[in-house]
Amino acid sequence: MKFAHFSAIALALAFAAGCTTTAGTSVVVNHETGSSALYEGNTRLHNAVAVTGVTYDKVPAGLNRVNFQLTSLVQRQQNLQYRISWYNSEGMEIDAESRTYRPLVLQGMDAVTVTGVANSPAAVTSRIRIRETK
Amino acid sequence: MKMHYIAAATMLLASAGCATRSVVVTDPDGIGTPLTSKIEAQDIRATVEKMAESLIADPGVLEVTNGERPVLDIEPMQNRSQMIVDMRSITDSIRMRLIRSRLFRFVDRSTAGADITIMDEQAQLGLTDRRKAIRPGQQSAAQMYLTGALSEITTKAGRTTDRYYKFSMTLKDLRSGEIVWADEKEIRKVASRSIF
Repeated sequence: MKFAHFSAIALALAFAAGCTTTAGTSVVVNHETGSSALYEGNTRLHNAVAVTGVTYDKVPAGLNRVNFQLTSLVQRQQNLQYRISWYNSEGMEIDAESRTYRPLVLQGMDAVTVTGVANSPAAVTSRIRIRETK
Repeated sequence: MKMHYIAAATMLLASAGCATRSVVVTDPDGIGTPLTSKIEAQDIRATVEKMAESLIADPGVLEVTNGERPVLDIEPMQNRSQMIVDMRSITDSIRMRLIRSRLFRFVDRSTAGADITIMDEQAQLGLTDRRKAIRPGQQSAAQMYLTGALSEITTKAGRTTDRYYKFSMTLKDLRSGEIVWADEKEIRKVASRSIF
C-alpha cells in the first residue's frame, strides 16, 4: 500500500513538473495621452510581482522611451522575462518579430527598472509583458 | 490490489517513453529556458536588441553628426570565446535593427566586389544605356564604423560550471578617431550536473 501511494505521488509530481504557464502581466502605456492600463493573466505572478511605476520621455533622436519599475512581493529570487512592444497610432505593432523577451532576475523584495526605446517615430504606445520562466 | 497499482504505474511510465521524438514549430521567443550554459539564440536576440536600443538612445552620435543621419559601416565582431558563433549574423541583425530605425545610413564594404562587377558589366557589356550606367566613384563614404567582440570566462568547480560572456561594441568616428559610443551586454550562466 505504501509503495502504491509513493508511486502515485511520484507520477503526479512528474506530470506537474512539465506544466508551465506563459500567461503573465501586461501594462499598456499611451505616450500621447499618458493613460495606462494593467492586465493580469496569472494569479501566481500577480502575487509575486507588481508594476509600481511607469515613466516616459523622448530620447534625443525624438523616439519615445519608457521605464517600468517592477517590485518583488516575495522573499525568494524570481526568474522572469519581459518584453516591451511598441504600437503606432492605429494600434498596429511595429517590428513585432524583432522584439524579444529579455531575462530578468528579481531578488526578493527588490525593485528594478527596465527600459525600452521605440524603434520608430510612429510608435506612440508601449506595452510591457512579464512572464515566468521555468 | 497492490499489484494493480504497480502495473498501472509501470504502464504509465512505459507509455511516457514511447513518444521519444517529436518536432514542433515554436516561437523564436520560446519559453526561454536555457538548454545549456553556452550562448543560445535568445541570448543573441537579447544582445542585438539591447545594443541597438542603446545606440539609438545615445545623444553623442547625433551631436557628432549635427543631427544628420550618419553613414555607418560595420566591422565583423571578433569572437574571443571558445564557442563557435556566427559573428557576422549578429552584426547583420544589429545593422538591420538600426536601418529600420531610420536614424542611420549604412554602407557595406563586404559587397564591394559585387558592386564593381555589376558596374563593369553595365559599362562593358553594352546591354545598359550608357547614360544610365552607374560609374564608380559616386558611393557614400562611411563616417563611422561599428565594431565589437565577444569574450568568455569559464570557471569549473566540481560538478558546477560558471560561464560569463560579454558582448562589447563601440562606434568610432573615422574623421576624429574618437569613440562616440560604447556599450556591453553581460550574460552569466551557471550549470550543475546532477549526481545521478
